[in-house]
Amino acid sequence: MGPLVPQEIIGADWNFFIAFVVGIGFGFVLEQAGFSSSRKLAGMFYGYDTVVLKVFFTAAITAMLGLLFFSLFGWINLNLIYVNPTFLGSAIAGGVIMGAGFIIGGFCPGTSVCAAAIGKIDAMVFVGGIFLGIFIFAEGYPLLEDFYMSGSMGPIKVSDVLGISGGVMALLVIIAALVMFKLGELAEKKWPREEY
Amino acid sequence: MKTKYMNPYLAGVLLGLVLLMAFFFSGRGLGASGAVKSVVVAAVDVVAPEHAANSGFYSKYVGEGKSPMKAWLVFEMIGVLVGGFLSGAFSGRLKWKVEHFPGITANRRLVFAGIGGILFGFGSQLGRGCTSGSALTGMASLSVAGFVSMMAIFGTAFALAYFLRKNWI
Amino acid sequence: MTIKNVIFIGLLLLGVVIAMVPENTTKPYKLTASQMLVEVQGAAEMVTADEVAHWLISKDPSLQLIDVRTPDEFQKYHLEGAINIPISVILKDDYRDYLDQGIKMNVLYSNGTLASHQAWMILRQLGFVNNYVMQGGLNYWFDTIMNPEEPSATSPNEEFAKYDFRKAASGVFGGGVDAALTPPTQTSADKPKVIRREKKKAPAGGC
Repeated sequence: MGPLVPQEIIGADWNFFIAFVVGIGFGFVLEQAGFSSSRKLAGMFYGYDTVVLKVFFTAAITAMLGLLFFSLFGWINLNLIYVNPTFLGSAIAGGVIMGAGFIIGGFCPGTSVCAAAIGKIDAMVFVGGIFLGIFIFAEGYPLLEDFYMSGSMGPIKVSDVLGISGGVMALLVIIAALVMFKLGELAEKKWPREEY
Repeated sequence: MKTKYMNPYLAGVLLGLVLLMAFFFSGRGLGASGAVKSVVVAAVDVVAPEHAANSGFYSKYVGEGKSPMKAWLVFEMIGVLVGGFLSGAFSGRLKWKVEHFPGITANRRLVFAGIGGILFGFGSQLGRGCTSGSALTGMASLSVAGFVSMMAIFGTAFALAYFLRKNWI
Repeated sequence: MTIKNVIFIGLLLLGVVIAMVPENTTKPYKLTASQMLVEVQGAAEMVTADEVAHWLISKDPSLQLIDVRTPDEFQKYHLEGAINIPISVILKDDYRDYLDQGIKMNVLYSNGTLASHQAWMILRQLGFVNNYVMQGGLNYWFDTIMNPEEPSATSPNEEFAKYDFRKAASGVFGGGVDAALTPPTQTSADKPKVIRREKKKAPAGGC
């Protein structure tokens, strides 16, 4: 059955409308969870507010389980789901730079747009920064291309690398997440802060 | 802890369902920085079309029959703006403000937000996706890239947290 | 029970379940049994050896012959321009671009028609289009195209037309050149139409 658009079960014209609806859900949930506040987001790294950890991992696990169960029931063909390709070197380097951007700027791109939507001026500046950062990358691309393309491993999955089934991998992630949630709550008790 | 926000685990489940919906309908996950990239590409294409056509980066997205703004992520991010605004209106959080730790000035906060944005924008292109596009979506589809991105982003942020503590606590 | 605990227990239970059940690795069939029955009875997947011969001679660019026999058999003899996709590996992703496409007209053949039909059934159930089966297979090809039998004097005219064409074709494929290379009209008229499809976009993504 699914995914519906790539299999032409519903027309490609609907794809942008679906994107819009998905975006509304995305923005609404981010804002309701408190991701429009940079101080709440940064709290993750100082232990006073681990909402990022909780929302992020719960969401990833929910979607992971959803995909696996949908596949089990024959509702979705996992071969047609986009799996982002792994380029090890650039993924790590990019992640490190993004991590620095996260702790310095207090947002990530999705949350900054969401925060800008409710009037956070710091978020608007952050979004402006993203524009500039992407522009710098684009202009410097000739210099970076070799590194950007190096270490291509294709769209590989962790479960395949470890030689376990997707289901077992999901269970491991769930157990790891529950342990981290517990640690997060202990941290929140240890370094309590009032809400903003 | 009393909070005015949604229970984080419930929010997580809802966010996961939104992501699942994207997978089920469109066969792809969420994203954010890709939409900004589209805007940058479109802007460069308007201002300097020749440069765009000759550059190794922009030329992937512009040219005959290609329109950088007609991208899934662009429409998704317009939705995020709408959704975020609706949520803010719903919960009474619509307000112009520079949110910052009381120990620093608003200007300092803005400067750091700008620097962070530049780094995040650059890193998201190098790493082929940001927290939502690569880490969250990638983890849900069990991709190695997703787990690597997640660990690199959060690991680095934790490692640098000590040096930036004056900004936050 | 708090929301948190409900979610924790729910996720954990689902995780245990998904870890214990086997993964679904089947490729889903897209046509139902009754749809298949209609297709099989319509026999629209059949093309005749004469048609194939005609397309080969006229170098029809949309023709793609696919030999579903073993590589050994393929090595010994195969039709001109054919590629070898043994039926045993037909589900491999390597061949998907050949079998699931919207540009060429694939004609499957085997020695008889059993293997080619089996292959076609599987491909059709996967929802692939533009795949056809050469009627009679290679055996029939040899009997008719390569060694055509002269019709008896009482046969209708079209039989003679067919014979003339086969004789000419066999010349092209290896025998002595004879009559004109125009095929009998009724065989060339019903060339199956290639169903044009937009090239399947790989699901895009990225941030």
